[in-house]
Amino acid sequence: MGIARWLTPLAAGADVPVFTAIGAGGRALADEAALLPGVRLVDSPRAANILLFVGAVTPPLLRPLLGIHDQLPTPRATVWWPGRAVGGGLASALPDLVVGPAGDGDHLRSVFAELLSGERRSEPPALPDQEAAEWRGVGPFGQGGTGMTGGVPYGRPLPSRAPDPDGLELDQLPLHVGPLFPPFPPGLILHIELQGDVVRQATVGDNPFAGATEDLDQDGPPLDTALFVGALTSPTPIGDLEVARARHHLRWAARTLRLHGLESEGLRLLGLARSLAPADRAAVESLAQRIARSRSLAWTTRGVGILGTDDVTGGPVARAAGLAVDARLHDPAYQGLGFSPVVHGAGDARDRLRQRLAEAVQALELAERAGSQLRRPGPPLEGPRGPLGTEDPLPSVALLGLLPRLLAGQEWGDAMTIVASLDLDLEEAAVGQPAPIPA
Amino acid sequence: MNWSSPLPALVLVSAVLAVGTYALAVLDRANGDRVARRRLRPRDAVLQPARAASLLLLTRPTATERPDAQAWALAPALLAAMAAGALATVPLDRGVTVADVDDGIVLFGAAMAIVMVAVYLHGWSANSPLPLLGGYRFIALALSYEMPLALVLIAAALPAQSLSVGAIVESQQGLWNVLRQPLGLPLYLVAGMGLGFWGPLNTSDAPDLAGGTAVEVSGPQRLAWELARRFVVVAVAAMGAAVFLGGWQGPVLPGWAWMALKTLLLLAVVAHLGHRVARVRLERFVVVAWTVLIPLALVDVFVSGALAL
Amino acid sequence: MGPFGAALTVVVATGVAVVTSRWLRVTLDPVALTAPERMPFIGGGQPEVHAWSRFHVRYYAMALLFLAFDMEMVFMYPWAVVFVEEGALALMEMLMFIIILLLGILYAWREGALEWA
Repeated sequence: MGIARWLTPLAAGADVPVFTAIGAGGRALADEAALLPGVRLVDSPRAANILLFVGAVTPPLLRPLLGIHDQLPTPRATVWWPGRAVGGGLASALPDLVVGPAGDGDHLRSVFAELLSGERRSEPPALPDQEAAEWRGVGPFGQGGTGMTGGVPYGRPLPSRAPDPDGLELDQLPLHVGPLFPPFPPGLILHIELQGDVVRQATVGDNPFAGATEDLDQDGPPLDTALFVGALTSPTPIGDLEVARARHHLRWAARTLRLHGLESEGLRLLGLARSLAPADRAAVESLAQRIARSRSLAWTTRGVGILGTDDVTGGPVARAAGLAVDARLHDPAYQGLGFSPVVHGAGDARDRLRQRLAEAVQALELAERAGSQLRRPGPPLEGPRGPLGTEDPLPSVALLGLLPRLLAGQEWGDAMTIVASLDLDLEEAAVGQPAPIPA
Repeated sequence: MNWSSPLPALVLVSAVLAVGTYALAVLDRANGDRVARRRLRPRDAVLQPARAASLLLLTRPTATERPDAQAWALAPALLAAMAAGALATVPLDRGVTVADVDDGIVLFGAAMAIVMVAVYLHGWSANSPLPLLGGYRFIALALSYEMPLALVLIAAALPAQSLSVGAIVESQQGLWNVLRQPLGLPLYLVAGMGLGFWGPLNTSDAPDLAGGTAVEVSGPQRLAWELARRFVVVAVAAMGAAVFLGGWQGPVLPGWAWMALKTLLLLAVVAHLGHRVARVRLERFVVVAWTVLIPLALVDVFVSGALAL
Repeated sequence: MGPFGAALTVVVATGVAVVTSRWLRVTLDPVALTAPERMPFIGGGQPEVHAWSRFHVRYYAMALLFLAFDMEMVFMYPWAVVFVEEGALALMEMLMFIIILLLGILYAWREGALEWA
């Protein structure tokens, strides 16, 4: 069409709208994608033209990923930044898949330009065109049939009722919020019973990374906490550990800020986190203090998702609840550095935010003081989420277990805030879990 | 020129909406980049809205399984139409008003009330859970900010002894309402951001709903929705400039230039707040709107009433 | 054409323009979407039921309160016009009216009608 020819050069200069789907080991790369100039991360696949899949695909992730791929509007293309070995059936399901160099924004932009100009064809749908819910019933609109509500209008049933604390009986929507939902950590599946905008019940679905973590350690740094896991067995400079801890907390804070509508502040944090060094302590401190003092953010997160001291045993979540536990207290390597744990009192989402920001600043201070001092493996190590190397289960496992109780009765926005404030890592929770037997 | 005849009216409203929306998009982008410490060349910053719009025009619209297609098509049209209707009541220069009615404030309020219907329809018609949540959230928000909005406009009408926007502008001859009624403009901006579900009051198209009412729209539909939303913000800013900042009054420059500057100022404030203030928690905001904002608006009304006597 | 006519024209024309632009695009470029392309987005999963439901609108009490204040607004509009003529008496009368309604908000707040919004 004539108009299309005229609009294409103009559109080619636009920011590439990218929907990021995060697979195994891809979280750090996804944060890199947010910082690329000329690239805009969007919340919904329908706002995007490029599906950026970061990390490795595991069998339970494949079908949701293809489903999301089909939800992108044409012209669409998929770019894959595998953090490790390529495989998993993705290339066969998406023949036009582009495997790109990780973190390369120019490559993304060139794929986008080719897509618009017609050099690269828009990807066809990956899944077969089968109605998921066929029309059933007797009448022309699917009505009629047997049972209380009769047939199945338009193929899908209507939600059924459930009692409500108000004394009413209203509909409850069963939602299976999938593994690639942007506000969630990658891989988290929650089966939510939603009544109105309140989560009546939430159960955690099967971990899609179960069984995949054995492969993860082979080809490079996949796990978010790989440096910490490595420090359990080999001597590591304290400076590296603490800078990694600060980087982790800043990245988490950036994601949380995005969730709360402060996307630009989050991008600034990500920019600081990308090239983090102990010398950046002043910049990080001023930004962190500004965010921690933000009254609007405090108003949104105060009193949400309160955890008591008997709910959690370690990590920033416990310290935000008032429990002064930190494996670094008993670590001989930290003795001469003047370390004392940062503690907050209320244990709500606001304190968890302030806790992690304060710990990031403290980590940079420790890194400055430690210099090139080495930490000997042996005692338990304080990872960014909690203690590693103890007999207790990994921190994410315990936190995942808290979710159903924390989310019951919460309004949707508060539920998202709570999930984000716990800083879950489904890959960490999957360590040691066997792969599910395919049905 | 009779600005109430069809063709000049349409040209005027379209021109103001087009320029205002583009300016808002550029300001929004500039603010975001400044907060994020991203560098952008001025040429890119000015062209980005046009580029993004053309990309949306080239993208194909999507649909969901069983939407209410008519209502879904109507929603952005209704939102844009209400914004245009609201803008029609605003005097852009001495004697230049598309709809110079005796109760312009009421017409503005009526148009802004139907915004609630448009956003709710947009959320409901997709037959998808996330937009549905966004739609219901917006109604809760809208019911809460409607009262402060109406009350501060009534307070501005008191010194003018008329509900006509033109009369309100004239009544600010000696002193602008932003100084005479200091509570008015902040409350009005809060309500205005709610109307355009912008920034801190963006509960309906929020990131925690993965985009809210706009989750399932793409292509030209998405462009229409985003444009309509910005139309509302522009209309709100224009009315705010007229009612609180003295409208077209000002030395040296012609009236429409002053009006443009004042509207741009309010748009800049809104764009700034959108990137600096976190999104509110709906329940808490409703409580604050009813127990703090409405009493403040009433104080505004009675104080300005007492002063007008 | 009077001012109301002009406003109505602007409203209708804008609405028609948006609807037409959408209809144009759809008719000029009709490609059927497959079933997976039309799946509602919920993070990769599939919906079990329709989203259309008897949604529990928890803020129904606040909506009733809004109705009361909406009626108050209706009374305040003409009051604003005649206020200066009528003088301090009008101020006092409206003040009494508003105080009665404010008591309503206070009651609703204490009863928790706003908390479940």
